[in-house]
Parts: sequence; structure tokens; C-alpha cells
Amino acid sequence: MILAIGGLIFGILLGSFFPWSLPVAYAKLSSIALLASLDSVFGGIRSGMEDKFDNAIFISGFFTNALLAAFLVYVGDRLGIDLYYVALLAFGLRIFQNLAIIRWNIMKKH
Amino acid sequence: MLSMKQGRWSIAFVCMVLGFMLAVQFRSTQDAKNNISYQRVEELSARLLDTEKERDALQEEINSIKNSQETNASAEQRLKELRVRSGLTALEGPGVIVTIDDSKIASKAGENQNLYIIHDDDLLRVINELRAAGAEAISVNGQRLIASSEIRCAGPTLSVNNVRSAAPFEIRALGDTQTLVNALKMRGGVAETLKVWGIQLDIKEASALQIPAYKGASQYKYARPVKEDAS
Repeated sequence: MILAIGGLIFGILLGSFFPWSLPVAYAKLSSIALLASLDSVFGGIRSGMEDKFDNAIFISGFFTNALLAAFLVYVGDRLGIDLYYVALLAFGLRIFQNLAIIRWNIMKKH
Repeated sequence: MLSMKQGRWSIAFVCMVLGFMLAVQFRSTQDAKNNISYQRVEELSARLLDTEKERDALQEEINSIKNSQETNASAEQRLKELRVRSGLTALEGPGVIVTIDDSKIASKAGENQNLYIIHDDDLLRVINELRAAGAEAISVNGQRLIASSEIRCAGPTLSVNNVRSAAPFEIRALGDTQTLVNALKMRGGVAETLKVWGIQLDIKEASALQIPAYKGASQYKYARPVKEDAS
């Protein structure tokens, strides 16, 4: 757990001092990738709490979800279909669902 | 929880990636807020384009208004000139006053009395001579001669512009005084010819002469201007 938080802080520091920032045109894609990653992480925490955590699934899900989400939004943008909002809604709903379950699990434990 | 410990390094890595993404995203959003955002730029450029178009349209309007003003001014100028030429304005300037009266000489018996009174052709000859000498405006007994003016005998009187008047006739002409006087007085000229019959012809030079405007109405019932294809 400490390792995970340490990794998070290190990542934030790394990102803060990263020499270049994303072009504004790709902000949409990176934000949806970020949302997908958050969803994966919350999903991972939830599965870990339910003792169903699988490292391979977690890692692969984290990266493929993020990349796939960004790719789909990009393709949708090219085709004139705003998949951005669809992804936003789907990931957002899942994040809040997972958060609710995590909260429920924590409450049950104590 | 056990399986989580197995992949703690991988989890740490994932968390690092997540943190990195978060930070980058945060910074990009801040940048976007600080700078003018992409959409804002697009909106502004569209607005700029619109404004430029509007400016161009206004510039064109200004040009056309300026042009029309110029043509208005020149049209007014032309109208004035045409009014002067057509005799619709009173004019003044140097010129001569020619007074012609019937002969005081008693006609001899058996001679045609008509020779001793003024006829339309006498006046026409005088006026013709004046015009040839460059008279710019001519009036007969206060009647301005215009392009359609007639001079003809109407019984014992003369009709000019359909207004009848009797002798003596006063012809006013604007132009170079010396030239006008010389034209009338030249040898074998009008004055000499008329004097033979005793017709009194008096030429007075005037430095400031006024000639009235044409007072009648003129309408064109039959004549129409020819349409010019290319002006």
C-alpha cells in the first residue's frame, strides 16, 4: 500500500516537472485515457477488497482500457461521432459504482 | 489482499503512471486555462474573419459613396453649365447694346415703304453677325434668344419667343466688346447696309451688361433623346 502511494506521489512529481505538456488538441484523448485509468485503478482496488485481484488482468486492463478509450474517442472524432461523452458517461458511472462498493466494503470491515 | 502483495511493484508502477498522467493532465488544463483555449482561438479567428469582411464591405461602401458624391458634384457642375448654355440663367458681363429703330427718313414717292422699316431679316442679320463674332448670349427686347427662339414678322411687330414687341429693338449681346462692335461696323457690314435705308442703328459698348434668362417653358413632345449604348 505504501509502495502504491509512493508510486503515485513519484508519478505526480515526475509529471509536474515533465518538460512538455500535452497539446490542447489532444486534451480530450488524454483526459479520457486518464478516466479509463482511474476506472481501472478503482476496479483493481475493489477486486482487491473482494479478494479477486489478478495482477495480469489489472495491468493489462489498465493500459488497454486507457489506450482503447483514447483510440475510440479519436476515431469517433474523425467519424463525427462524439464517443467522448459516451466514454465519459460509461467510465464515470463505473468509477462511482466502484467507489460505492469500496466504501461499502470498508464500512463492512469496520 | 494476498494477491495484491504479489504484484506490488506492478501496482506501484501503475500508480506512478496514473500520477504522471494526472499531473500532465492537470498541467495541460492549467495551460489551456491560462492561454486562450483552442476553441476560443477558433472562435476569435472566425470573429476576426467576420470583422475583416465587414470592414471590407464598409470600405467598399465608403468608396461607392465617395464616387457617387463625385458624380453628384460633377453632375451639378454639368447641370449649371447646361443651364447657362440653354439660356435658363441670367448672365452678365461685358458686351454691346445695339438699338435699332425704324427709319426717320421720309420715303420717296413710289418707293417701297417696307425698305424703311425694320424687318425680321434685318434683325436676323444683326444677330447672325453678333453670333459670328462670338456673342455668348443675346437678348432682343428683353427676350433671351435660345436654341428654339424665333424672330419673325408679326404684322407691324416682331415676335421673339412668341412675345411681340415693336420698334425700337434693343439687342444685347455678351462677348468681346471690340470684336462685336467691329463685326457690326465692318465695311459692307450690317450697319452700313441698314444705314442706306436710314434705319437707325446705335451701338453702345457696355462693361457690365445683364441679359435675362429665358422665361418661357419648353417641352419636348416629339423629340426623344437617342439612347446611347456606350457612353
